[in-house]
Amino acid sequence: MNIHQKSKYENIVFVILLLICFLFIFGRAFNTVNCIKHFIYYLAYPNVNTANNILKISGNFARNIKSLLHLHQENIFYKQKNHELTDKFRNYELINQEYESLLKLLKLSKIENTNSIYARIVVREPGSWYQSFIIDKGLDDGLYNDLSVVVFNKTKDSFCAIGTIVETHKTSSKVALITNSESVFSVEIKNKEVTCLLEGFNSNLVRITYIPPSTNVNPGDELVVSKSSSFFNAGIPVGIIKEVTKDPYMDFQTATAEVFFDTASTNIAIVLIPLEQKQ
Amino acid sequence: MRKYIFYFFIYIVFCLLQFCFSQYLNIFGIYPNFILIFVVCIGLLKGSFNAELIGFLFGLTWDIFSTDIFATRALLFTILGYCSGKLRKNFDEDSIIFQCFVVLAASLAYNLGVYFINYITIHDILVYNLGITLVRSISKTLINVIVTPCVFSVLRRVLKEV
Repeated sequence: MNIHQKSKYENIVFVILLLICFLFIFGRAFNTVNCIKHFIYYLAYPNVNTANNILKISGNFARNIKSLLHLHQENIFYKQKNHELTDKFRNYELINQEYESLLKLLKLSKIENTNSIYARIVVREPGSWYQSFIIDKGLDDGLYNDLSVVVFNKTKDSFCAIGTIVETHKTSSKVALITNSESVFSVEIKNKEVTCLLEGFNSNLVRITYIPPSTNVNPGDELVVSKSSSFFNAGIPVGIIKEVTKDPYMDFQTATAEVFFDTASTNIAIVLIPLEQKQ
Repeated sequence: MRKYIFYFFIYIVFCLLQFCFSQYLNIFGIYPNFILIFVVCIGLLKGSFNAELIGFLFGLTWDIFSTDIFATRALLFTILGYCSGKLRKNFDEDSIIFQCFVVLAASLAYNLGVYFINYITIHDILVYNLGITLVRSISKTLINVIVTPCVFSVLRRVLKEV
């Protein structure tokens, strides 16, 4: 009886096991079975192919998980980028602070939001020595009319205003100097917050007009570009006052100033292109 | 409890023997099917019930690590375990010739069974060429028959302990 019962169990278990096997064999048509198989395989031997197979097999659900994984990877990538950019920004802030403090210490003018292009002065006509010159950079280099031009003054160890571009060609540009008789722009007397007008004279001297009579202007006072100037950046040194004319019958004082640049020794000009308006 | 721990230990040993050492100890890519010999041995010594369950378990394990159709080996080992257990009643299981004959028949049935299941489900005669399969099946069968007496003698001693 006992043997008979054991044999009966054997047969039942055998049939059940056979059914499970057939279910698995024919169940390969169903993604679930394949997915379970690959998942167990992945647990034993984790590799990219098996992971990909699991995701391929399990249909929409897998697609959603795949996109989630992609999003997660993207998230990690952008987090890293964010960290990098934050570090760079922090460095930039530190450098900017250092730059500001150095500017204050060295009493230099700040050139903001500009891209500098160095150009060689290639043509200077004797007849227009204090009026204009031609530089070897033009439209191809991104220059256009009304851009301000500065030069480096070795004595002052800073940039000084020299003129503006008035004509632009393919590979050259004409710069009208601030000493040109047609040149007029507003300047400030440094540390006195007085805005006046600079007029060219076709010489290395310029005339400063519209100085308020109450202002105490003395020879040796420095002139910088005014905040209201449309061509130059504010604060760029321009020249130094040589002589002041005070006429009690006039409404304003007048002065004569010498520009900082020396036309004879200037070979390189720097064109400042505002970044926002760069063409 | 001791019995189950012992079976689990045997399971681990045979899994290692079949899956880990096959790449080092094969002869021209042919390696004895220790799991098949073990299932047949259990069938002959302990009966169908144990053999079919162990066969199913080993088969599933092998299927997981294989790229073939899932549950192919589970099905074949279950059937072989069941059948070898049934033969126990009619023949002398201690006879080496009988053991070798059963392993020979089981090996051929197993190899051809794998071929047919794959052929039926995949329908690729180029991948599952019958001629090549027969040659390989016979080689594997011969290797299995050669190692059968050793495996049986070891297993007989070990199983007596349980």
